[in-house]
Amino acid sequence: MGAVGAAAGLAACGGGSSSAGGVPESDEDHTSFVMTVWGGEEDKNAYQARIDLAKEKFPDYDITLQLIPSENYEQKVQTMISSKTGPDIMQVAENVNVYASKKQLVPIDELLAEAGLDLEETFGPVGANYTWDGATYGVPDRSGAMVLYYNKDLFDEAGVDYPSADWDWDDFLEAAKALTDPDKGQFGYGGVGWWPQWFSLVAQNGGNVLDPETGAPGVNSPEAVEALQFAHDLYFTHEVAPTEVDYSNMGPEMGADGAFQQGLVAMNSTGFWAVGGNAAIEGLNWDIAPFFHGAQSAVSAFGSALVIPTAAKNPKGSFEIIQFLTSLEGQTPIADKGQDVPANLELQGSDAFLDPDWLEADVNLQAFPDSADMIFTPKFIPEWNEMQKAIDDAMAAFWLGDADAQTTADDLQGRLERIIKPSE
Amino acid sequence: MTSTALEPPAVGEPAPRRRQATRQKLTAHRRKEALTFYLFISPWVIGFVVFLLGPMLFSIYLSFTEWDSFTAPVWVGLDNYITLLTDDPIFMKVMGNTAYYSLISVPLGMVVSLFIANLLNKKVRFRKLFRTLVYLPHLIPIVAVALIFQMVFAPEAGPLNQALALIGIDGPNWLMDASWVKPALILMSLWQAGGGTILLLAGMNGIPKELYEAAEIDGASGFRQFWSVTFPQLTPVIFFNLIMGIIGSFQVFAQVFILTGGGPDNASQMAVPMLFDEAFRFYHMGYGSAIAWILFVVIMAFTALAFATSGRWVFYESEVRQ
Repeated sequence: MGAVGAAAGLAACGGGSSSAGGVPESDEDHTSFVMTVWGGEEDKNAYQARIDLAKEKFPDYDITLQLIPSENYEQKVQTMISSKTGPDIMQVAENVNVYASKKQLVPIDELLAEAGLDLEETFGPVGANYTWDGATYGVPDRSGAMVLYYNKDLFDEAGVDYPSADWDWDDFLEAAKALTDPDKGQFGYGGVGWWPQWFSLVAQNGGNVLDPETGAPGVNSPEAVEALQFAHDLYFTHEVAPTEVDYSNMGPEMGADGAFQQGLVAMNSTGFWAVGGNAAIEGLNWDIAPFFHGAQSAVSAFGSALVIPTAAKNPKGSFEIIQFLTSLEGQTPIADKGQDVPANLELQGSDAFLDPDWLEADVNLQAFPDSADMIFTPKFIPEWNEMQKAIDDAMAAFWLGDADAQTTADDLQGRLERIIKPSE
Repeated sequence: MTSTALEPPAVGEPAPRRRQATRQKLTAHRRKEALTFYLFISPWVIGFVVFLLGPMLFSIYLSFTEWDSFTAPVWVGLDNYITLLTDDPIFMKVMGNTAYYSLISVPLGMVVSLFIANLLNKKVRFRKLFRTLVYLPHLIPIVAVALIFQMVFAPEAGPLNQALALIGIDGPNWLMDASWVKPALILMSLWQAGGGTILLLAGMNGIPKELYEAAEIDGASGFRQFWSVTFPQLTPVIFFNLIMGIIGSFQVFAQVFILTGGGPDNASQMAVPMLFDEAFRFYHMGYGSAIAWILFVVIMAFTALAFATSGRWVFYESEVRQ
């Protein structure tokens, strides 16, 4: 059986690369599909519920869910693909073009046109995220903007108005200052040291860490440096955000999410997952609002898409399943089970997502659909992981206050230029 | 190792030479014995060839290619090696870090484990309890150890810096300071020195009591006894610890990966975490393989160096020096 699978895999692979840009032949008799996703137990439940729905819709198809722990996902999928036992449907995120640039994914433009599915209409700006070299590879599946979590009690104590989408950098900074109380070890804000946070600030200021068209780095542009300076000042001039040193003094594995739950930071910008975590904390009185804006509105989002590897034996079948899974009906379990923000905009605006049964607390989930239009996505370059490492390396001293914005940006720019080969 | 120590001490007598065996005709019995030998060794030979030798040869080949693990490898000759040795912004730093870590943590670990072993060899109360306690850290998974040390090394709240503060020293930000992160990793490695201690204790038990009695009659002090009896008798164990220490420390991985991720700015990045990143996170299999082979050569060189000098200080009882 292994030999047969390997031969079929090779054949499918050869077909995919010879007809560049086309959909490989589909073996329509092949009706068993493997779908790989990452995550934990909650993710498994949500995906399985969706696959059960898909099985009802396509009784002939046998779909197997393979859940891989997040930290091993890329290596595991890499091994599966290179040993020709790759999945038929695969979850990808920022790493999409690792595969697309190496011709490991089926371009789906033709299939989308046949199905009459308009990604940007159905999913908003994130519909254009999963493209490479003019071709589309992924259908958005989950997509939640980064939002601002805030501790209502701390706001009330300090007499500060709750955050809103109207906040600009000045409003935000003023609030953060008022909410900082060194005597209580309390900080106004969780910080911006993580890429989705400071990338957002750069984009809000009109800069781009990566050129949206080519992926070329531009982290030392005046706009970007100004945004970095603002970030730096939050820590070292205004001291409204805990540095890494402050966090490590709070406890092991402590970060902004944990500090927010303990009431040590009053505001924190992160993804949807903190809703469930915060709701489980007794006595934490909190809510969410859209992220503030700068000269422009821009906010990072956390999402993933479903793609078809070239080694899939029945790409048409895979696409049918993906089309269903990303439809309103197919994504409903994401909302019902509180797993994440479904990418489908219609579902994001429906009560299934906004007023779910799983959440007792009264949380303004409307912040997610309200943020959907502000979402900016950095170009998903194939060198994504290397870029992350270069960022960590070059910015280590910056976040500790040992290097200034311009020097850091110039240094990082040099490192990124070495790694990233911009596309045409 | 310990079995040689159990033999009676050679006193002046030349050791019997046993390697005079001339070529003998294989008798039927011997042939059968040989067959049994190959039968029993075959699982390991096959395992070695299939799971070790095969991948090793493949990785030599890969080190001369550029391979993203998806598309076919592209032959690039010595390019990977040339880039690593002349044009990689971090490789030299990483090898330097690895050598720094290894060359300090191994000798230090050996001194500490010898010191502890010597203490635990004394007839003290609760000796068994102490021996257990010393070995205990060795049994804790390295992931858990890393998490514990994350707390220990915390800048202000950490017990280490609080202890330093008591004696008026303002401790550094261990894991976030480029010049302190390697000493921090070395300190952490010392916590697990108990593994070497156990071997040394076993070796100490094997030292004949007569030697100490003779030394005592000659009026040797405790220190002199340690230096002239215990230490020479232990050198085979110490040599073993040295070789294993060199090999293990050059391949340090989990501590770095969990505790620092190689940061800040590669100040604690080591060879194996770097090759892991290149091969499995950045999809440069060929480049990663080249790092692996350079590391292999370096480890071999240090091990060979240790063996070359061992004749001067390692003392086996069964052999006699003129």
